[in-house]
Amino acid sequence: MHLIESLPAGIPYLSLIWLVPLFGALVIMFLPKEQKQAMRIISAVVATISFGLGLLVFFAYDPNAAGYMGTKMQFVEKLDWVPQLGMSYLVGADGISLPLIVLNGLVIFTGTFISWNIEDRVKEYFILLLLLVVGVYGVFMALDLFLMFVFYELAVLPMYLLIGIWGSTRKEYGAMKLTIYLMIGSAALMIGMVAIYVVGGTFNMVELSQRVFSLEFQKLFFLPMFVGFAVLAGMFPFHTWSPTGHVAAPTAVSMLHAGVLMKLGAYGALRAALWLMPNGAQFWLPGIAVMTLMNVVYGASIAMVQKDFKYVIGYSSVSHMGLVMLALASMNETALNGAVMQMFAHGVMTALFFAVVGRMVYERTHTRQLPELGGLMKVMPFAFVVFIIASLSSMGMPGTAGFMAEFTIFTGVMNQYPLVAVVAALSIPITAAYVLRVGYMAFMGEVKDPHYHDLPPLTWQEKFSGTVLAIVVIGVGLFPSIIMDYIATGVQPIAQRMIDLAGR
Amino acid sequence: MNFQIADFTRLIPEFLILAIAALVLLGDVLTRWSKGKEALAERTGEAIAMTLMGLGLAFVMVLIQGGFFNWVQIGDWKFYNFSIFQNLRTSGLDGSILGGAFVVDPLTHIGRLIFIGAAFVTVVLTGKARPSNNPAEFYALILFATLGMIFMTAGGELIMIYLGVELTSIPLYVLAGYFRRDPVSTEAGAKYYIFGALSSAILLFGMSLLLGLTLMNGQTMNATPTSLSSVKTAIELAFANPEGPSQGVAILGLLFILAGMAYKVAIVPFHAWSPDVYQGAPTSMTAFISTASKTAGFFLIYRVLVTGFDAPSIMGTAAIGTPTSFGGWTSLVAILASVTMLVGNLAALPQTNAKRMLAYSSIAQAGFLMLGLVGTQRDSSISLLMYLIAYTVTNLVAFGILALVEDNVGGTDFSNLNGLGRRSPGLALLLTVAILSLAGIPPLSGFFVKFYVFIAAWQEGAKWLVIFAVSNTVISLYYYLRFLKAVYFAPAETEEPIKVGFGPGIVMTALTLLIFGLGIVPTWLYGVLEQATIRIGAR
Repeated sequence: MHLIESLPAGIPYLSLIWLVPLFGALVIMFLPKEQKQAMRIISAVVATISFGLGLLVFFAYDPNAAGYMGTKMQFVEKLDWVPQLGMSYLVGADGISLPLIVLNGLVIFTGTFISWNIEDRVKEYFILLLLLVVGVYGVFMALDLFLMFVFYELAVLPMYLLIGIWGSTRKEYGAMKLTIYLMIGSAALMIGMVAIYVVGGTFNMVELSQRVFSLEFQKLFFLPMFVGFAVLAGMFPFHTWSPTGHVAAPTAVSMLHAGVLMKLGAYGALRAALWLMPNGAQFWLPGIAVMTLMNVVYGASIAMVQKDFKYVIGYSSVSHMGLVMLALASMNETALNGAVMQMFAHGVMTALFFAVVGRMVYERTHTRQLPELGGLMKVMPFAFVVFIIASLSSMGMPGTAGFMAEFTIFTGVMNQYPLVAVVAALSIPITAAYVLRVGYMAFMGEVKDPHYHDLPPLTWQEKFSGTVLAIVVIGVGLFPSIIMDYIATGVQPIAQRMIDLAGR
Repeated sequence: MNFQIADFTRLIPEFLILAIAALVLLGDVLTRWSKGKEALAERTGEAIAMTLMGLGLAFVMVLIQGGFFNWVQIGDWKFYNFSIFQNLRTSGLDGSILGGAFVVDPLTHIGRLIFIGAAFVTVVLTGKARPSNNPAEFYALILFATLGMIFMTAGGELIMIYLGVELTSIPLYVLAGYFRRDPVSTEAGAKYYIFGALSSAILLFGMSLLLGLTLMNGQTMNATPTSLSSVKTAIELAFANPEGPSQGVAILGLLFILAGMAYKVAIVPFHAWSPDVYQGAPTSMTAFISTASKTAGFFLIYRVLVTGFDAPSIMGTAAIGTPTSFGGWTSLVAILASVTMLVGNLAALPQTNAKRMLAYSSIAQAGFLMLGLVGTQRDSSISLLMYLIAYTVTNLVAFGILALVEDNVGGTDFSNLNGLGRRSPGLALLLTVAILSLAGIPPLSGFFVKFYVFIAAWQEGAKWLVIFAVSNTVISLYYYLRFLKAVYFAPAETEEPIKVGFGPGIVMTALTLLIFGLGIVPTWLYGVLEQATIRIGAR
């Protein structure tokens, strides 16, 4: 939707999007630690501003205009960084990154409100949360491989502290496991990046994408690049950090983590692996498609038998991100469209899930064991309604964001690997089953514990966040073209390059 | 060979340090001479003040002489047009003294800055852990060691190099064992001394072999036979004639010199002394030994290898699977690097004492550093020097914070760090930054330099080594994260904040900002380092 004809020139919009939260973090750093309310407000303000800037850029993007160096990249800013090593500060946005930038803005916007009740070490919490957001924004807009990696690590490390300090349920274990797994991923990335630099002579991804690497090189180095990012997307067999991490993390962090951080992985795999090395992709991805089946079906089946409410959502993320990876592995335009759409849809939906489970339910009942919950619908009807909206999206009901995404993905995968698509489709009934199961166990039936009648009512911050996310889930479901049009323009060149270079 | 009057100006920083050391010793006598508590405090204060002033002055002097003040501009008036500046600069910039025994080039300037800076920080850090008797000796010894390090870096000739090594080591032995009543400190001193003496002997033996080689090759006495350029010629000659015995002598000489130096910088398998010494020495001294002394060692290795041994036949290549075969000192360095980082990392995993763990981490860091030595191309050299600077700054902060905590808490176990995040958020933040930089997390300097040495080693063809090193970073992350775990996750025993003096606080903060600066804007060092490597002859 190209709503805004033109923005005033000369303002670095994209840089501002990530500089604003960074500035907020710095301001909070210099506040005395008693000023908790001020910190919350500052955090909410910078989150709102960066979300607003993201929306502004989103609506000002012109999908038909040509951008930087013949690509669709717009709002490009370039500064030399280490010219001797071909590193530059190069940011830009196209139809793939814009929805994700908006998604990140949305999740941190609602996430700050959800974090309103944090009382322990508020200062450090909001600093780390904002740093995490800075990193995520940066990855979505970086067009320089090195810059992207820097932001990527910046997004990973605060997680360790956020989970370890404010988390629950085996938090230190979860934090360490997550960090070590993700660092194994970045180690693979580092090898890939060094190799790409030595052959390509630059880190500028736009330049690199206009270069064709030798077949042998692509076959060797596609895998570290792809897997390095795919670890963060929770690809089997590197997925086990993700449910543990989700469960251990405090609510807003789970929201960011499952909602946005895992998308970094899929986005990076698309941008840095598929875009730069299409032949390597064609060599490796059929095998990887089979692996992602494990994610999709196995993840869903495990979610089915979990007793911990958060684990169910955690494994459902594994399953849904598996669909994204499967779509990437299918390499055709339709599937890639679906992949990006699913990133957005799953991000919003899972943020909503965690808001309900982590904040609304767990913070009140202090248990997430499904057998101990029950009848919460009578106590907190609002939580029930938004939970059902998220569930419907998770099942892929028409009218929710999830439907458009999954439908497109399955169409695309069907074209490429019909058999895989059939097996993967098994996840649809399983998903419906586990989502309805937890919905039933937690919300319906008799109120299990009489204390539940005395639970404090939902605060306005919780209701506000829930409502915003629910509106987006339904809004995008009803009008998918708002973002689908953008995604198509972003994906098209990558898919085209895939076709052009096929069969070398 | 003669010492000319013009050479004097090139040595101003060294003379300055020497003079200050003498003044510190002399001044102690002139201060109230007593062992009483008050008198001791006065003497210590005086020694610290004089040392700091001297080091600061020398630092500024090097900045001017090295031409680092070019950019200072006030209006149209350039700073170096001011005649004293101008004179100092032109007289101090380049040249070699005593027929090439003491080389004044950009590498020397960089070395001086690092060592003088590190000594300055160390003196500031001595804080509460001050020497209980004869304070002036303590600080004078630091100055002498600093002087020795500069000689190590500037040495263009084997005897000067050896003198530099000894001038560095002997004060350090004393400093490591300075707390005589503490058995751990005494052990550290004794151990350091015995290992150091052994390694000096090995080094000297290697040097004598090289001297034999240069003389055997019938060089005329036009050139000093012990100078590195004579060594270079002799080795080229030796390899030009593969039949003769001299080739074996060259290789033996190289091996002994490498082994001797490997002791000094604690490269596996010559590392056994370092954890005990690092743990036993006063923490501020550990900071000094692990940064300045190690950096000086690497500068020396770098200068010797690049100027003395850069004949392709003895250099070889660390690449596997290329037409040129795996061999030469580059491959030896590559193997040592991989062993060093692996052993350092694995040994660091089970440690419960933070200081000892940082000791093992320094060993591992030396392994990463050596990735910049597997070739002599420009990127390798620049990345090595950049790594050394970043490493020095980062380790100074890490050990420095540990020293400050130890002053208050009384120990350096991980349990002593528990709850630091609650007790002193500022200190905790500085420690976190330093640790993350050691772990190689962007945007800190430790990340950039690590990435840079990876690129450099990959360009030299040592791809296997890069892959090995990258996997090692993951191992190292585990133990570095234990710091964060203790600092932020573990509950504090008391909520009482840790008191830090103004001086250490400001210095640590400045160094931490430097860690960020070097990571975010690495280019501002690039030009200087490039000059240094060009001048020394890296290709």
